[in-house]
Amino acid sequence: MAVSQQDLAPKRKRAVSPGLAFSLPAVSMLLVFMVAPFVFATILSFTNKKLLSPLPTRWVGFDNYREVLGDGDFWGALKNNFVFSAVTVPVQTALALLLASLVNQKLKGSVFFRTVYFLPITFSLSAASIIWLVLLNPSGMLNTFLETVTFGSFSPDWLNNPKYTMAAVILVSLWASVGFQMVILLAALQDVPQTLYEAASIDGATAWERFRNVTVPGIRNQLFFVVTITIILSFRLFDQVWIMPPKPGGPLDATNTIMVELVNTGFKSGQIGKGSSIAVLFFLIVLFLTIFQRRFEPEE
Amino acid sequence: MFGQWENVPLGGTKQKEKVQMRLSRMKSLLALLFAFTLVAAACAGDEAAESSDGGTSEISEGAAAEEDPSDGGGEDAARTCDGEVEGPVTLTLTSHSSGDAYTGAVSAFNAGPGSELGVTVELIDLGEAGYEDFITAAAASNDLPDIIDMDGPFLYNFAWNKFVQPLGNCISDGALDDFLPSIITQGTYNNELYSLGSFDSGMGIWAKRSVLESVGARIPESSGDAWSVDEFDQILRDLEASGISAPLDIKWWYGAGEWRPYGFAPIVQSAGGDIINRSDFQSAAGALNSAEAVEAMTTFQTWATDGLIDLDAVDDTNFVEGDAAMSWVGHWMYAPYKEAFGDDLVLVPLPDFGKGSKAGMGSWNWAMSSSAADPDAVWAFIEFVTSPEQVKIIAESEGAVPSLKSVLAEDPTFQPGGDRYLYVQNLEAAPDIAVPRPATPAYGAIRNAFSDALADIIAGADVQETLDSAVEEIDADIAANEGYPAG
Repeated sequence: MAVSQQDLAPKRKRAVSPGLAFSLPAVSMLLVFMVAPFVFATILSFTNKKLLSPLPTRWVGFDNYREVLGDGDFWGALKNNFVFSAVTVPVQTALALLLASLVNQKLKGSVFFRTVYFLPITFSLSAASIIWLVLLNPSGMLNTFLETVTFGSFSPDWLNNPKYTMAAVILVSLWASVGFQMVILLAALQDVPQTLYEAASIDGATAWERFRNVTVPGIRNQLFFVVTITIILSFRLFDQVWIMPPKPGGPLDATNTIMVELVNTGFKSGQIGKGSSIAVLFFLIVLFLTIFQRRFEPEE
Repeated sequence: MFGQWENVPLGGTKQKEKVQMRLSRMKSLLALLFAFTLVAAACAGDEAAESSDGGTSEISEGAAAEEDPSDGGGEDAARTCDGEVEGPVTLTLTSHSSGDAYTGAVSAFNAGPGSELGVTVELIDLGEAGYEDFITAAAASNDLPDIIDMDGPFLYNFAWNKFVQPLGNCISDGALDDFLPSIITQGTYNNELYSLGSFDSGMGIWAKRSVLESVGARIPESSGDAWSVDEFDQILRDLEASGISAPLDIKWWYGAGEWRPYGFAPIVQSAGGDIINRSDFQSAAGALNSAEAVEAMTTFQTWATDGLIDLDAVDDTNFVEGDAAMSWVGHWMYAPYKEAFGDDLVLVPLPDFGKGSKAGMGSWNWAMSSSAADPDAVWAFIEFVTSPEQVKIIAESEGAVPSLKSVLAEDPTFQPGGDRYLYVQNLEAAPDIAVPRPATPAYGAIRNAFSDALADIIAGADVQETLDSAVEEIDADIAANEGYPAG
């Protein structure tokens, strides 16, 4: 170890300036578009800054944080975020793995299905939400189908009935983003050496045993990546809940999320200071979730 | 999205070291954040001390603060009309519509009075969806056009922010005589006239006379003899019994915009409540959540939960094709409905929830930005689009009530016995029947709170609780804005 470090040292020195130069565009973009806005948001979260107001902006200390944390809507939104993640992360990952395994079969038409499953990713979420708005209409296509197969016993008002709104949002989200996870897992599956499967077959492993003992260990890094990215993306739930229900956040706030709270506070109510404090809190929550998750990271 | 990819380890040999490195970096970042928080808190402490001394502590925001008209203290005050258009000038106009009436008005102005005065108007069409967001963003970045087309109640917050300037200096004596009083009411904030419209609105229920008669319903002639709420309830149920499954169309698919307070605040007002206390505009308590308001909204909720309201419609076809028997909507549906039903079409007032039938009023109007290059040039345009000739074209294109008495008098549908006479009657009886939207900068908050409350009520929420929390939301906004003190 020590020897290799010494060997590397001179090489590294030479590599520093091109390395910096190459990373400069990305780093400067990150600074301008991610770090700087966040620093500003942190500053603003301690003021009573309004989007539009002739009144002077004042420092208000932790007032915004106190108000946000004392507001039931914030906790309700956070709960919805957790419910959404708790359902989508396992379901979406499992579904993505299933789809990836299916389209990885060397069968006729697998390319076609691969394309079809991936297709929703190419739509913008807001456009997809509008389409689903029509499909989920109480007398729309989905309900007509459900009524037929359940002989008329099940055709809920998906978006107006608070009991079903979250289910509808989860459904649309799964449909819209499972293809992304599928593609990553598909690439992972194709990386698992074929020889391992052959060896397992010779040892008499069943299909399920091959899956358990060859496939899953072979793709676990990618699986972990998929879980991480799904959690982060699921916390940013916004487009669907903004567009589909009769009011952003859903009837009786059934699908209200932190992002919706943030946009409502910052832009609809024009309270930039308070909205910024929600953004900072949101960042901290996601940060701690990610740190927490790293403890379960697979080791080589 | 891609930014996050980089942060996520894909596995590798030096995972542990990397994680430790990242964690230590994260720690220093957190430390920095924490230090920053402490500094900010310390500053806040100072500020509080200063404020208690009576000093107003202002955060310098560089250019933004300097350009803020309220800080100018007079020397930077908006230019006003001096009666002369100075040299050739190009004005920008944002509009919610790019219909023929609007583009036609702009080109007629540019070719006519504009070319004589050396004024060219450039129309920026933003579309109606999200229009408010666009001009709010423009205002926040000091990038407003010279002439702003805005929906009525949006004006008051802009006037409070001094983003628009009074028209007073520009208007010659007697020039306002022909305008409907409702237009002047709408354009006035803090005793100054800020805007004029080419049309006003009308609110009521469109129905087919033959369908109403088939269930034996009385057909009211004016708001004075509107259906009582019980009568209306009975008619809805009779219509349902006659085979029309969801007889009342309320355009629920318009979504969370201006339609909800415009179309449904009259329910609360008809019951004797309101969406804000109009004496000082400081609170909605006791108005929006009064016992009468709760009772009226509960009745409305019953219609929704009993399936008498068509909440599933996604366009206008339900009424046109007979799936709904009545359409609770504004003037803009006159042309398509008239075309569908001809003489069978009848306009009736909204039901009376106890204190008389009420209706919404007000619509899009023209205002002058404080940063307007040449107020005289802007006024020349506003004068042009509120001239009888243009009012006639623009109001006609919207199906709306013309803003000028002289134009109104020419249209038989607005005369006694005419299809749309009810609108005129209601506007003439303002504020007793047509109720102006409250002239307060808090209107945006009131609108959002009411709109969300209505959605929850339709979804079956407890009405008292919902209206109580709407009141809380409105009052919190007013408090956050220090009561919107008039500058």
